[in-house]
Parts: sequence; C-alpha cells; structure tokens
Amino acid sequence: MKTVHMKIYIILMFLSGVLQMSIFNLSWEYFSIIQAIHIVSSAFVSFIFLIPYVNRHTYEYMIVKKANSKSGIILGLILFLIIGSGVYLFLVGNRGSDIYGLISYYTHLYGSFILMLFLFIHVRQKIEAKNATLGVLALLLILSAPDSLQASDKTSSKLFNIELQEGVDRYHTEDWTNSTKCKSCHSDIFDQWADSNHRHLTESNPYYMVLENLAAADKGEEFRQWCIGCHNPSALSTMQGRSTHGMIANDMPDMIFEKGSKQLVDDFAIHGNSKLEQGVSCVTCHRITKTTSMGNSSYTLAIKSREKYVYEEHSFGLRAWLGEKFINANPVKHKESYSNEIYKSSAYCASCHDEFLPESKKEIVSTFKEWEKSSFNNPDDKTKHKSCIDCHMTNLVDGEYTPLEGQSTDGGEVKKDIKVHYFAGGNHFLSGLKNPINEDQSLQLLRRSAELDVALNASALEVGVKNVGAGHHLPTGTSDFRELWLEITLKDADGRVILERGKLKADGNLGEDARPYMKVFGDESGAPVGLFFWRYKKLLSDTRIAAGERRIETYKIANFERLKKPLSVDVKLNFRIYPQWVTDVVQNAYPQLPSPPVVVLETLKKEL
Amino acid sequence: MGNVTMKKVYYTLFFVLLSVYGLSYLLPAKDTQFHYSDAELRATALGRNMNSIPSEYSELLKLVDSEENRLSKAKIELGRELYFEKMLSGDKQVSCNTCHMLSKEPQDKERYLKALLTTPHAPKSDCRICHEKDESGTDRQAFALNSSDKPHPYLLNTLSTLNAALAKYQTWDAGIESIEDQVGHSLIDSFEMNISVQKLEKRLRADKNYALKFELAFKDDNETVSLSNVEKALGAYLRTLVTRSAYDEFLDGNDSAMSSKAKKGMANFINFGCKGCHTGITVGGQTIQKFPVRDYNSIIDITNSFNEVSRGREVGTLGLNIAMRHNFPFKNEGGFMGMNEEQLFRVPILRNVTKTSPYFHNGEIQNIREAVFIMAKHQLGMNLSNEQIDEIVEFLKALEGDIVEYEIPKEVRQ
Repeated sequence: MKTVHMKIYIILMFLSGVLQMSIFNLSWEYFSIIQAIHIVSSAFVSFIFLIPYVNRHTYEYMIVKKANSKSGIILGLILFLIIGSGVYLFLVGNRGSDIYGLISYYTHLYGSFILMLFLFIHVRQKIEAKNATLGVLALLLILSAPDSLQASDKTSSKLFNIELQEGVDRYHTEDWTNSTKCKSCHSDIFDQWADSNHRHLTESNPYYMVLENLAAADKGEEFRQWCIGCHNPSALSTMQGRSTHGMIANDMPDMIFEKGSKQLVDDFAIHGNSKLEQGVSCVTCHRITKTTSMGNSSYTLAIKSREKYVYEEHSFGLRAWLGEKFINANPVKHKESYSNEIYKSSAYCASCHDEFLPESKKEIVSTFKEWEKSSFNNPDDKTKHKSCIDCHMTNLVDGEYTPLEGQSTDGGEVKKDIKVHYFAGGNHFLSGLKNPINEDQSLQLLRRSAELDVALNASALEVGVKNVGAGHHLPTGTSDFRELWLEITLKDADGRVILERGKLKADGNLGEDARPYMKVFGDESGAPVGLFFWRYKKLLSDTRIAAGERRIETYKIANFERLKKPLSVDVKLNFRIYPQWVTDVVQNAYPQLPSPPVVVLETLKKEL
Repeated sequence: MGNVTMKKVYYTLFFVLLSVYGLSYLLPAKDTQFHYSDAELRATALGRNMNSIPSEYSELLKLVDSEENRLSKAKIELGRELYFEKMLSGDKQVSCNTCHMLSKEPQDKERYLKALLTTPHAPKSDCRICHEKDESGTDRQAFALNSSDKPHPYLLNTLSTLNAALAKYQTWDAGIESIEDQVGHSLIDSFEMNISVQKLEKRLRADKNYALKFELAFKDDNETVSLSNVEKALGAYLRTLVTRSAYDEFLDGNDSAMSSKAKKGMANFINFGCKGCHTGITVGGQTIQKFPVRDYNSIIDITNSFNEVSRGREVGTLGLNIAMRHNFPFKNEGGFMGMNEEQLFRVPILRNVTKTSPYFHNGEIQNIREAVFIMAKHQLGMNLSNEQIDEIVEFLKALEGDIVEYEIPKEVRQ
C-alpha cells in the first residue's frame, strides 16, 4: 500500500467524522448514514490497512533506517489513541455514566484535529509547525461553536383526538418498534413497565377484553375505537379496528400471571416488529409529540418521523447489534427522539386519563380535571405543585416517596431521581398477579391517600375520612367500577358487637349497608347501567372524596344510654379494584382469573 | 501497458456499475397503478367471472338448486336445526356449529352478554363466548380438534361453512366435490363427528321432533330418516348459507359501497393476477393449484433484502439462508402436503377471509397482511409494497359480509 493511500484514508475518516459535528447540522438522513459509514469503514480501514502500514513504516524508518522523527512518534501515539478511543466508542459507547466513554468521546473528537496537525507536520516538513497549529486551532474553534437551542414543541389546543404525523394516513405494523427492542439497553425501565398496567391494557387484561367486546356488541364495531384510542393505539393507527389476542397454536397464551412480559419477548425473538405489540408500549408514550388536555386520546403520535440510527430498527443478528453500537457511540439524537418536555406536565397524561362519551360529552373519567381544581395544581408555588409523575412515577419505599437513584440506561448517566415506570396507581391487582414489586408500589401509594378519625357525637358514631394524599378524587379513574368503603365494628365493654357496617355478603358483593365512595351511572330511565357504562345518561350518585376533603359518616347507635362503656370501635378503610359482580362476568370468559382481594388502606381502633 | 489496460477495465467497470445504480434513481418511476373508473372496474370484474351473490332467493336457486337435492323450506329449516344438533356426534358433545361457529340467533344484540352470563366456568377460556358473534363459520383456531380435544393428525385449519356450497371443491386437498358428500364425510370421520350410520339413524328416528320434520321434508321417500337425507337437509341449509358484502353491492351497481382504497385493491387483485386463482362467485374454491409456486429456499436469498415488510419472517433475507428448509414459507406443522402429496391445494375462498384468521392449511400465519405478502411473493413472484398490501387488504375487507336472510317461499317446487 502506498503512503498516499494512507493519507487519503485518514483524511476521509477525518472528514466523515467532522461532518457529524453539530455545527454542520446535517439532516438526520445524511447524518445517520455518514455515522454508520464512518464507524464501519474506519474500523475496516484501520485494522486491515492502517495498522499494518504503520507497523511496516515504523520498522522501515526507525529500526532499519534509524531515523529520528519526533513528529512521527507523536503522530503514531495520537493515531493509537484515536483508534483506541474509536474502538471503545464502537464496542461500549458513550452512554453517560462511564468516564472512559466520555474520555474516549473527547479524545476521538479533538484528538482527530491534533492528528491532522501532526499528519501535516510529519508528511509535509516544509509546512511550518506554527502555521499548521494556528490553522488547526482556528478550525477547532469554528467547529466547536455552541449549538443553537431548539425550541420545544408547544401543546396544541386543537379539538382532535388521536392524530398521526403529517402526511401519513396510517401506520404499519413494522413502524411500531417493539418494546423488547428497548429492553437491551433500558432493562430496568423495561422490567418495571413489563408488569405495569400500561403494558397490560389490552390482550392481557381480561376486564378490558370483555368490555371492549361488550361495547362493540352493544354499540357496533366502530365504537371499539373509542376504547382503543387509549388502550391500544398501535392497533388503531394500523387500522386494525379491534383488539386481538395472540395464539400459541390453539391456545390463548396465559398472560395474566406471567412476569416480565415473557410472551412479548418470545414473540419478538421470532417475529421482530412484524407482529404488532398491543397496549401502551414504549414508543406510544415516547413518540407523542403533542397533546391537548381534552381527553379521549387527544394526542399526536409521530411514529415514523423518528431520527433513527442506521439499523436501529433491525430486530436480529449483526445489523441489530451494529444498530445498538451506532446509538451508543453518540446517543444524543436517540435521547432527543424519545423525550420531550411535555412528558413532565399533567396535561400530557390528561390526553388519556380524562374520558368522556363522544356524543353526549358526559364525563366518565375526569382525573385530570379533578387534579386541576386541587391544591396539587399550584404552578405559582413550585414547592407545592405536584404533577402526575411526582406521585405516580416516583419510587416509593416504606410508604414514602424515595426518589430512585440510578441509571435508566444500562451503563448510562447516574440520575438522582429516575422516573420509575411501575405506573403505580389504583390497580394494584392486575399488575400484582404478575409481579409483587409492582403491586407493592401501588399499595404504598394507595395507603398514603387517606386518613381516618373517629369520635362520638351524642349517641352517634362519627367517622371522618380525609383525602390527604391524592391530587384527585378518591377513588378516581373508572370510579363506577371502584369500591372504597368503611368497614366498622363497634363493641361494648363486654365485647358484644353492637354495630357492624360494610361487611361483604356471602356472594362476595358489598352489603347494602355499606356506603361506597364511587360514581353510579344511570341510563335514561334512571336505572343503573351496570357494565354498560357507555349508556350513561344520568348521574345517579357521586360519593367520591375530593382532594383535601374530609367526609363524615354518621352512624346512629341504638340504645346508646344502656350500653356498657367504654365502647371500642374498629374502623377500616377498604378498597377493592373491581366489584365482585363485574369480576363474576369476566371470570366466565377468563376462568383462570382470581377475584381481586379487599385491601385495607387504613385502620383505626379506639375506645370511646 | 498492461497496467493501463487494467486501469481502463477497472474504470469501465466502475462506470457501468455506477450507471446501473444511478439509472434507477434517474429514470422516472413506472406508474404501476391501474386507473379504472368505477364502471370500468365493475365491467372488468364482471367480465372475468367475478359475480355477486344474489339478494333474491329465486336467483340463488338458479345457482345452488340441483336435481339431486331440490331445495325446500322444510328441508332448509331441518338442516338449520341439525347444524346445531349435538346428537349428530358419536359422543353427543359436538355439533357442526362447534367448529363452524355461527350464532343460533344472529339478530340478537344481547347474544354476547347472554353468552358471557350463561357459559359455565370451565378450566379454560371458551372461545365461543367472544368469537361466536364473529359469524365466521369457523372456529378461529389454528387447527381443528375433535370432540375429545384430539387434534386432526394433519393439524388442518377449519374451513368456513359460509359460501362453501358454492365452491367446486371442498376441503384443503379438494378431495370432495359436493357439499352433501362433505357433510357425510364430516359425520362419519373419526376425527370429526365420529358417528356410525346406524347410530345416527337410530338416534334421529327415536326423536319425535326430528322424525316428524324428516317426514315433512322428504315426503316422497320411503325411509325418511337416513344418512343421505341428513346430508341433503344439511346440504340444503348450507346452500343458503351465503354472504353478501360491500363487494356484491358494488358489483350490483352501487359505486359508493366500496371505499376508493378498496377499489384500488380490487384493481390490484385483478391485475396482479390474484383473481386468476381466486376466481368465481366465491372468489376462490373453484380450482386446484400448487403452493408455493415459487420456492425461495436457496442458500443465498436476496429477494427480500430491500423490502421492509419482510423483516422477521421465515422467508429469507439477504445473506445465507441457513434456516431449516420448509416446503412452505412457514413451518409445516402437521406435515400436510396437499393433494397426492404434491402441494396441490384447493384455492381458498376469500369471501370473509378477514374474519377467519389464522391462515393457510395449518393456521401458521396469523396476520392477513402477512398472508397477502406471502401469496404475492410465492404465487406471483411479486414483492408488494406496504401500500399495495394495504389496498388489497382493504378489498378483502370489502368481501366480508353478512349471511343473507332469504325469504324462502313455503314450497318452491313440486
């Protein structure tokens, strides 16, 4: 190989590297291809041609001819550093936490200019070293000018539901990157999400599958879109029209109990992105570019306009491996592609956590609106302001918010407060069937929500329930299917029970004497709608407790004067995620589904 | 001198390669869309034997009535009752409807809720609860099971009974022609209803309701309750079990019945050559063809390298194709090889195909888009684009129809 070829190789590698600097602001299409070419061809050229050449060259001049070239020695050393740092960036990457990645990145970046300097000095001895140094310094200064900040997306106020990116009328299955793909670098976050309720909104959620089908049977097939806008956006945007469940030969995979989304991971190994992932996947939330707080899936999903690295979308083999290396070597665009300032605001969550009937606009779920009116929404005083993620995506330990310190990317930067993806909330049950950690996070959150007090007032028992922890009503969400109630046992001094309220009946349903905090929807004639919540026309009752509100329940005690005192009272605040009558119906279709337990959120025992 | 010549050769070669690559970018893209007006599309389809299912009973009779099995109201109603009759199976556990699911009362809006509330707890989810209302005439499973949950040795995917009587051939290997023969076969087959002729006739004769209804339907016969009359009654019912869809409306002259995308898909369907095999009023079921026509199991396979649809499929990508060789572009569970073991199959009926997933003879492919992709690649040698697949799938959706409720006159013929 001729010396001139080596010079051309080095200059080409330098140029393809320099082009990736932010000052050139290349369009992503060119950037990603140049990056891939730079990495692969540099590795190829370095190991096949350059290193053998330098070896031979050094041997020829320093051993045989005994030449003493300082610039040659320095050039060789720098070349060694550049190749070494390049190899490190390629194989390990600059992922954030590891200092070697950072050193490699800057060595590779700025070292290449010094390499060019010494290359000129070494090969063209007549160029004066001073001039060359000045030239390279000037070039460096120009190229390292700071990047101009990009304006972030503003939330739109358009009254639309789900929208796709501009110029696209539908997406295809292959556009939806499977969440398993994210697992290889974000394993902790994947594991949290894999057993969370966001993951299990569709095929693995028996309650949902039964109700989507019921809604379609009652209101027509098209009505499913009302459900799947939030529950199954990938199916909606790929024109599937309904939620489906996978099959393993003739059997429905049992996803109700399986940990770590095993079925999803296994399917990905076989089908890659050609099998659609249903539910709310990583890219669903992380590719929302705009939202309005209107509700009913009022967000814009830009799945295709991502800035993808070369081979980023490959599911298997060498290309998938290379794709990951290309990201790790310089992950800036990757981060930008999947994060957005709006993700921190409550209005972002509102796009799905507020839900109304499309025709009558009657509110079914109004969690965001409840929060808006609560003291948690305090934009003027940042110390008192708490958005959705402050409670629902902050790690809990022993019932206290304990921000999780660690890495959201394997080998990434260590963060003080990782936003955990358990999505703790009311539904401890379905995620708990898969993973006790997810269940525990939800239960800790639930148990922070209320406080009890009890007192005697004349001949009546007064129990107060105060919503102290939730920035919304208690309960919220689909609160026509939530049961929160007081279970009370009052005994006299001899231990005889004088008053008992809120016990379950033999069939598992709530007794008539219980006073559940919930919403009850009625149809036109005022009869409760039961499972058919979309038939809601009249609100029959709404007994939920608003944020900060203290509700007082009064129980008359018969023959109070004659009772042997002191009385002892045992008050429990009970919660059940679905009423038994709902579960009974779902269990007919999904016999393996256990009945959700009653969980005690607060207890209070007192002598009166 | 030699060096200079070599250089010239290199440069020429380089130039040729560059031109070949460059040319494809420089030339204007060939317009492969076929433009039809609605009337032209309809005329083209009708001219190629793509006909609509009649909406009038008298018209249907012209298609399905035969010397051997004259249709009558009594016969059809008896057939309908027998379709849901579990007595027809050896162990009284299954009826036709067990595998070829249809609702007994398709007009009942509450049927799903009723199924939800009345199905007894079983150890496993009962597919019928949710899928009976699909009205697909099949079980939605990958392969058929007999009454004791044993799979058929070939693991064959259950075919739909909808429009089946209009097909020239029945079953995957086209082994049976008339629908009556198919009924008889299914009753006796040990992997299906598994009942002996004697047992069947004895049971039905002993049932007063059926004895009377057979008497009514087969007045002229000496022995009214017989296997052949069971075949005829069920056959008569199946001959009326046909569906009308947006596609039929379009063929009958309603331009707005199909979306423009579906119309494009229909044009693709005709022009790409799909309709060459999926032909006739049933859009399939009329011929026997080899599958796959084109085998891409070579060691180096570059056919899919530039097609994003192909990712993750077992049909080869650029590079060494070291996956196990299969006779089909998917794993051949069950080892079925078609008619005479020659990979010859009855061309499937495409009416209602969008509600009869999974696909192919062993139900290995779950997704309709993937099925379309495989068919185009292996039968036509075409790599369809995402858009072309979208359009064809949209057309296939337009073939999805409801069972026609014909007004059947009390006595059609003497």
